[in-house]
Amino acid sequence: MTNHFIDFKNSDVFLMIGSNSAENHPQAMKWIMKAKDKGAKLIVVDPRLTKSAGLADMHARLRPGTDIAYINGLINYIIENNLHFKDYVVNYTNASFLINPEYKFEDGVFSGLVEKDGIKSYDAKTWQYQMDGDPVKDGIREEAIKKDPTLQDPNCAFQLLKKHVSRYDLKTVSQVTGTPEEVLKKTYALFASTGKPDKAGNVIYAMGITQHTYGSQNCRALSVLQLLLGNIGIPGGGVNAQRGESNVQGSTDFAMLNHLLPGYNPMFYASKHKTLQDYMDKDVPKTSFWSNRGKFVVSMLKAWYGDKATKENEFGFNYVPKHDGKNRTHMGIFEEMSEGNIKGMIAWGQNPAVGGPSSFQGRKAMEKLDWLVAVDLFETETSAFWHRPEADPTKINTEVFFLPAAMSYEKEGTVTNSGRWLQFRYKAVDPPGEAKSDLWIADRLFKAVKKEYQSGGKYPDPIFNMVWNYDIPGEDEPNIDQVALEINGFEVGSNKALDSFGKLMDDGSTACGCWIHTGYWYVDKEANTVAAKRRMNKDKSGLGLFPQYGFAWPANRRIVYNRCSADPAGNPWNPQKPLIKWDALAGKWENADVPDFKAVEPAKEPGGQATPVTPDKTVSFLMQEEGRGRLFAVKGVNDGPLPEHYEPIESPVQNIISKQQTMPLATKFKGDFSKIADTGSDKYPYVGTTHRVIEHYQSGAITRNCPTLAEVSAHMFANISPKLARKIGVNTGDDVIVETIRGEITCKVAVSGVCVPLNVNGKEVEVIGMPWCFGYKGIATGASANDLTPSVGDPNTNIPEYKAFLCNIKKTGKH
Amino acid sequence: MSKGVLVDITRCMGCKACQVACKQWNDLPSSNPAFKDGLTSPPDMDGYTYTTVQIEVIEKDNDYTMRSGKRQCMHCLHPACASACFAKALQRDPKTGAVVYYPHLCVGCRYCMLACPFDIPKYEWDKQFPLIAKCQFCFDPNGKYDRLGHGLGPACVDTCPTGALKFGERDELLKEAWQRINRDPKYIKKVMGEKEAGGTSWLYISDVPFENFSFRPNLGTRPLPEYSHDFLKWTPVIAVGWGTLLTALYHYTKRREKIAAEKDKNVHM
Amino acid sequence: MSANKGLLQEIKEYNWKFTMTPARKVLFLLAGLGVVCMIFRLAVGLGMTTNLSDKWPWGLWIGFDVLTGVALAGGGYGTAIIVHVLHRGKYHAIARSAMLTSLLGYILVMAGLFMDIGQWFNFWRPFVSWGHASVLFEVFWCVSCYTTVQVLEFGEVVTEKVGTKYHAMFKKALPVLMIIGIIFPTLHQSSLGALYLIMVDKLYPLWWSPYLGLLFLMSSFFVGPAMICVETALAGRAFKHEVPIHVLRGLVRISGVFMILYLGLKFFDLVNRGVFNLIFKGNLEGNLFLLEVVLGVMIPIFIAFSGYSNTRKGLITFGVLVSGGLIFNRMNVVFTGMSAAIGGWYFPSIMEWAVSIGLVAIGALVYCFAAENFNVLDHHEEHHHNATA
Ligand SMILES: Nc1nc2c(c(=O)[nH]1)N[C@H]1C(S)=C(S)[C@@H](COP(=O)(O)OP(=O)(O)OC[C@H]3O[C@@H](n4cnc5c(=O)[nH]c(N)nc54)[C@H](O)[C@@H]3O)O[C@H]1N2
Ligand SMILES: Nc1nc2c(c(=O)[nH]1)N[C@H]1C(S)=C(S)[C@@H](COP(=O)(O)OP(=O)(O)OC[C@H]3O[C@@H](n4cnc5c(=O)[nH]c(N)nc54)[C@H](O)[C@@H]3O)O[C@H]1N2
Ligand code: SF4
Ligand code: SF4
Ligand code: SF4
Ligand code: SF4
Ligand code: SF4
Ligand SMILES: [Mo]
Repeated sequence: MTNHFIDFKNSDVFLMIGSNSAENHPQAMKWIMKAKDKGAKLIVVDPRLTKSAGLADMHARLRPGTDIAYINGLINYIIENNLHFKDYVVNYTNASFLINPEYKFEDGVFSGLVEKDGIKSYDAKTWQYQMDGDPVKDGIREEAIKKDPTLQDPNCAFQLLKKHVSRYDLKTVSQVTGTPEEVLKKTYALFASTGKPDKAGNVIYAMGITQHTYGSQNCRALSVLQLLLGNIGIPGGGVNAQRGESNVQGSTDFAMLNHLLPGYNPMFYASKHKTLQDYMDKDVPKTSFWSNRGKFVVSMLKAWYGDKATKENEFGFNYVPKHDGKNRTHMGIFEEMSEGNIKGMIAWGQNPAVGGPSSFQGRKAMEKLDWLVAVDLFETETSAFWHRPEADPTKINTEVFFLPAAMSYEKEGTVTNSGRWLQFRYKAVDPPGEAKSDLWIADRLFKAVKKEYQSGGKYPDPIFNMVWNYDIPGEDEPNIDQVALEINGFEVGSNKALDSFGKLMDDGSTACGCWIHTGYWYVDKEANTVAAKRRMNKDKSGLGLFPQYGFAWPANRRIVYNRCSADPAGNPWNPQKPLIKWDALAGKWENADVPDFKAVEPAKEPGGQATPVTPDKTVSFLMQEEGRGRLFAVKGVNDGPLPEHYEPIESPVQNIISKQQTMPLATKFKGDFSKIADTGSDKYPYVGTTHRVIEHYQSGAITRNCPTLAEVSAHMFANISPKLARKIGVNTGDDVIVETIRGEITCKVAVSGVCVPLNVNGKEVEVIGMPWCFGYKGIATGASANDLTPSVGDPNTNIPEYKAFLCNIKKTGKH
Repeated sequence: MSKGVLVDITRCMGCKACQVACKQWNDLPSSNPAFKDGLTSPPDMDGYTYTTVQIEVIEKDNDYTMRSGKRQCMHCLHPACASACFAKALQRDPKTGAVVYYPHLCVGCRYCMLACPFDIPKYEWDKQFPLIAKCQFCFDPNGKYDRLGHGLGPACVDTCPTGALKFGERDELLKEAWQRINRDPKYIKKVMGEKEAGGTSWLYISDVPFENFSFRPNLGTRPLPEYSHDFLKWTPVIAVGWGTLLTALYHYTKRREKIAAEKDKNVHM
Repeated sequence: MSANKGLLQEIKEYNWKFTMTPARKVLFLLAGLGVVCMIFRLAVGLGMTTNLSDKWPWGLWIGFDVLTGVALAGGGYGTAIIVHVLHRGKYHAIARSAMLTSLLGYILVMAGLFMDIGQWFNFWRPFVSWGHASVLFEVFWCVSCYTTVQVLEFGEVVTEKVGTKYHAMFKKALPVLMIIGIIFPTLHQSSLGALYLIMVDKLYPLWWSPYLGLLFLMSSFFVGPAMICVETALAGRAFKHEVPIHVLRGLVRISGVFMILYLGLKFFDLVNRGVFNLIFKGNLEGNLFLLEVVLGVMIPIFIAFSGYSNTRKGLITFGVLVSGGLIFNRMNVVFTGMSAAIGGWYFPSIMEWAVSIGLVAIGALVYCFAAENFNVLDHHEEHHHNATA
């Protein structure tokens, strides 16, 4: 999130799209309700009538997978009616920047589409700015880019955007999404009303937006929307992902992703990074804040390999395994598994047998494993895949090891929430039986591997040279404070914790495991504990920033891009809610939040005076190389500079926006994972989508094993409209079979107004909603919705298209 | 003045935290309940479930919407159940207003279940010696499940994230209820429980008809125990009056018989 | 038999009779079955043995065994009033048999109640823990007391034969017992109806009434003679015990009068509460109500005051219609009238039936036994009938 949960109370209008906070983020919903008490309005855009929609002022139902049409329609409505926030757009976005005149958009594809052995990709050359100098060699310096502050030039980002979305008029959008025009109009008008300086519009999104073959473009569309309305960087505004697993934010920060290093630095690739220098040349921007990346990466290597990381050995660059460029995401891995190319798997706190796409095929693929290690609280469908209902255990040779893990309340450590707040939690109870903390398990695992290498092995240096100083004499648990200090970063030698990543160096004088966390383990004198352990309820601003409650990365900043909350001269757009302010008389900044821009120039010589930076010298979007919010994305996403509507890979209708039916770059897979139903298939006429329920967490591994929670949602079910129910002759409580080209499941049917047919360009499209939290283990069992879902992904993230696919439903014999 | 809880349907997000908290605080066993609709579960309160959040899809201005409402014992000011119990196994605590069940006194006649206008008391049907089950308002005089006695709010209320449940003095909550209603036109101009069945400790306000949460549409406002009282108050009168009348008649008719007998004796002479 | 023998010895020596007949064999079978089911129910609880549920906490046992049983047994106190209070001598013929049926009826009612309560070992609670605000409290006390009284009353009959030395004592106490034995039923017959006063929000307006108590009382009173008609008809065959028509007709007319009052009160109340129109609404409730009133009250009234009541056939029809009508009425209160409010569905389980039928069978057997050994059917001339049924 750009903002954070408590900040929701400052919003005037919420656009909750593809998120169901009432069920999935109840504590967030609490703050939304607080805002509503003060008159805020809530718009929910969701195919289903959700609990959030029930509490909303407006509910726009749309066909799964048509969000870009909806959002582009909103953007078009805003531009057509001149409702965008001009000063903001001109000063803080790249609206006025001129784009390469060769940039083209025809038949739904952007210029630069190339195909190499069956795989499509874009050459983004023609999407670049007009500028003097070479963007690649000397970076995209803002001052070097050609601009037209009047926003009239047909090649300026604003005009290109305007032209692009002009095709998304109310009628067309309604024909794509199935949302009635009047509903579009009234929701558009309400949210567009936040384009005023003193109004805050808050976009809340989650999996309904991301789990599509154009999930990243969905998010892009939302960002463009918020930039146009001047809603980024302000209290109560922002683009706010309601993130997942209680600590998924933490795990992404630590690069539980194949293409990243900790702190969102790109991974080392064998193909392009022969040396650390290659990385410095190719992946460290010349301009902007990111020009510091080198310092972050070197400090990281230093943290990993300590004094074994020297200038001479490129700080241990060669110890780090390089990415082979293959698809190493969930679907890529399972595809290879099914081909027998993967021998072993450690399922560490995950349950892919229920949570993965095409899980029926997924479970089958696991049979090809020689060994499986499951680190979990319970025996899940994954660790029990070999005696799953549809399998014959005698034919499966996989050796399965189960390591019982301690649950979050049974161990200490930090959890990072969607608002980027790190909060240290203490252990509440001891883990049961032999269960151990994940840190303990990781520690012993590493030591065991190291021990193996004592007796020789290929290239043991990375193992032997790895810093592993987490033992406390006489203690069983590893030294979590030492781990934390290493993450936070310290001065090599003195080993003193650093207070800010500004202190990080690329000469090996500093070590830091994850630069964005620097400062979280630095002692706050007033609270007299480290930042992450603070629990001080002081909120001078009244905006709910609580600067001394936990630590928000980066730099304890609660609202990022906060320079944009004030006008170019530094006066808050909304004087009622000042986040930062330039005090012209005193000639310095008055900030409630940690500024997301350089507010002072540190003293040249030690002990000297730091000098305030005047507003005109500050940069609004520090994290962007050109220092501006991107209406037109010259980089960052690989599948297009502007969001464009495509149909889901499985769709009941033809794309009426362009000739291009689906996302050209969508990732697809072979063999078992290749099955896709044809467009408009009459064997699978209905649109299926999957969702969560409040009662169960994810694959249900915990909640379906917890009696009190198993009871409050004990059955797998499918939601259908009363009309469809009449058609197939079922009533609530009957057993039905839901089938896709990949498989079928049997479950209960719930007939209500949760799902209703949508009028899509004259065709009536029925939507079937299913929770995906069930499986065959635990107290409450049921069929897994993922036996139905396709293995196709977004080209940027490879997130599967869980939210829109084709299916059929029929009643079973028994009732 | 007795305690109460204000339930604001418009603030309830149907998260069931209250329902689960109740089970856990009161050590109630969990079951594998029948499927209802994918929303409410278990389908209704039962011998082991004091409270359920009833989640309903409702037709509202020619579209559907969803509302959730927690149901449990209303803790009536004049509890029909208590008045119906011939063994005093249900009693209202005047201080808290909690209507509490004392199992050791219960005979198991289930008259309370029928008497309750809100259909609250449930029964442990599967047990050999079943007992009545109902929300105790977390009041358990010197027992392990007591909260109110310790000055705490009920487990369900203290768990509610949204403030849909508010615990306090009944009369203050009633005031607040009307303030909310008058401040916001969306509300139905009625506080469920203000007058129903003579008034209840738990009060409900809503923007959709209360019937959606299975409140009877025809709930009267007269305290139900009065109906029984109006009948029972005659008992002594009848007992005594009827008794004397009968005795009188007995002797009178007996004498008449005698006299009659005498008469035909004389005739024979 | 001389009075100075030990009671036990006396009992031993007394030549008890019990004639076996096919009909009685069947009764024994049913009774046995009932007893087995009862034991099973007491052992395993209600859930496994009945179809009762949270929606339908009361079923056949309360609805039929208790509510109806008590009413049908109402004949006892009715005739008691007529015979012992008003000293209408001619009715002596049926006094004792009515009393016996009543006594048995009550014992079975208690048994039925005992089966129905979940904490049966706790049945005595209300004697010490007084829920005096409850109508059920009154029912409970009255029924238990009345049954005791009736046992004593019957003692007078028994001691004619065995324990003869106590006979005088019983005879002395009889009048007092009689009067108490009338007060109790008067109270609980009405309170059985009053049980439903508190269900004002649930019981369908055609049956709920502020006068429920009075209505139950009246019906329990006028059903008495009807029962006697049926019963004497049966007993008549069984024991060649023919009660003279004029006796029965007199009774039937008495109840006829009460039925008119009953009907009047009912309609007055319906009009008064403005729900009269519900009768003709054509819904289930309306129709069943009509059926109950027409068959169970109106037609019988007509019979009572027409010449038809001069014939045994007429009297039996009367008896059957009125008792049937009363059963129907109680069932309507317990089931028809509640179903709309309660929802769901209830039909008694096999066990529930078995127990109820078993209890009735036991009653019938005991009746036959008593009839054969003591002077119940006719205590003017002393001779024994030998059963043929
Ligand atoms: N109780 C509970 N809470 C959770 C979780 C849980 O399993 N249970 N999981 C956690 C995790 S890991 C995550 S990622 C988050 C996810 O949180 P959410 O994203 O809120 O969860 P979902 O229910 O998967 O999806 C949200 C909504 O998207 C809607 N939707 C489906 N298709 C579309 C579409 O094409 N467009 C739009 N606009 N909406 C669509 C669905 O109907 C659903 O209501 O929740 C977290 N919180
Ligand atoms: N159809 C469909 N499928 C989906 C989604 C969807 O919306 N629709 N959502 C997707 C999303 S957003 C996500 S995040 C994934 C989640 O997919 P998974 O992460 O595979 O599912 P979880 O159930 O969260 O698995 C977490 C496991 O970790 C265990 N666990 C819990 N705490 C600990 C701990 O402290 N230590 C250890 N070692 N183990 C622990 C739990 O018991 C559980 O087995 O599912 C994806 N799958
Ligand atoms: S993470 Fe836990 S506390 Fe936070 S909203 Fe989800 S369930 Fe509630
Ligand atoms: S709601 Fe029912 S159970 Fe609760 S106090 Fe009132 S009458 Fe008794
Ligand atoms: S079931 Fe128990 S609590 Fe209810 S009325 Fe009967 S004795 Fe009282
Ligand atoms: S008050 Fe206590 S007993 Fe009643 S529902 Fe709430 S938690 Fe359960
Ligand atoms: S906890 Fe509160 S919001 Fe959640 S269901 Fe209960 S009452 Fe509603
Ligand atoms: Mo997630």
